Amino acid sequence: MANQSVATEKKSHLQHHFVDEDQQFESSKMGMWIFLVTEVLMFGGLFVAYIIYRAWHPDLFYEAAQELDVALGATNTVVLIASSLTIALAIRAVQLDKIKAAINYMAATILLAGTFMVIKYFEYMDKFGKGIYPGESYTYDGLEHEMAANFFSIYYMMTGLHGIHVVIGMVLIGWMIIKAKKGLVHSGYYTPVENTGLFWHLVDIIWIFLFPLLYLID
Amino acid sequence: MSHHISTLPTLLSVAGALLVLTFLTVAVTWINIPEPFNVIVAITIAVVKATAVAMFFMNLYWDSKFNSVVFLLSILFLTIFVVITLLDTLFREGGLPVY
Repeated sequence: MANQSVATEKKSHLQHHFVDEDQQFESSKMGMWIFLVTEVLMFGGLFVAYIIYRAWHPDLFYEAAQELDVALGATNTVVLIASSLTIALAIRAVQLDKIKAAINYMAATILLAGTFMVIKYFEYMDKFGKGIYPGESYTYDGLEHEMAANFFSIYYMMTGLHGIHVVIGMVLIGWMIIKAKKGLVHSGYYTPVENTGLFWHLVDIIWIFLFPLLYLID
Repeated sequence: MSHHISTLPTLLSVAGALLVLTFLTVAVTWINIPEPFNVIVAITIAVVKATAVAMFFMNLYWDSKFNSVVFLLSILFLTIFVVITLLDTLFREGGLPVY
């Protein structure tokens, strides 16, 4: 190991039950991937509900999707892709020990996530204003289909669960900023930033599927 | 320690590709592709985008291959979930349910 001295100097985070830093890093990352699998399967339940319902009522999905604003959905897709880029740049900056740049990139990620939530808020408010609520609270009469409420129940559950993940991601990235400011992450140890990044990218991947499935039914 | 550090051009070009594909997935709805090909096109573009994120933003391309196996297993089990459920719901006698 060429950087033995650096590694020894910053070894305080190495837990006694790991052989070395690499093993600790790889184990932690694998644990994160296994958690992401449970996330895929949790959203999977909602995707299955979507698929079954769309197979039963294709006409309903075509009709109800017209109520969703493609421009806002597309803007949010671009915002999330930009935020995925900034968190990837933040991890790169930590790996290169450019902590100040990393903090700025993470702050930019939180800002983009906030933008996503604000746009989502206006979308929800616009629908609530028309009486488009999930489930039995649905009072909108602009759609012919008798099962119209069910499309929006699926819509609210999928985008709602995703929105909760965006907020959790914002909190996690905020926590990483605090860690970075305290000097707790650097090129020798950045596992929490790496795992937060993985979580954030998964949130992006889920939106990549939600956008065409909900907004782009033509 | 030999962790992969992504180069700036890699990260920027992946983000650029994702933006182009986002535009493409919206643009294909302007021409009317008949059912079911519109869904197939939309899902194909989404899968390409998700693969790009997983490989180059989530670093699966450079990682231990075990992480890729773990992630792909989640997709496999999701597929089983979908297929087995559809085998029931698509072939029910007595028409559509009332919900």
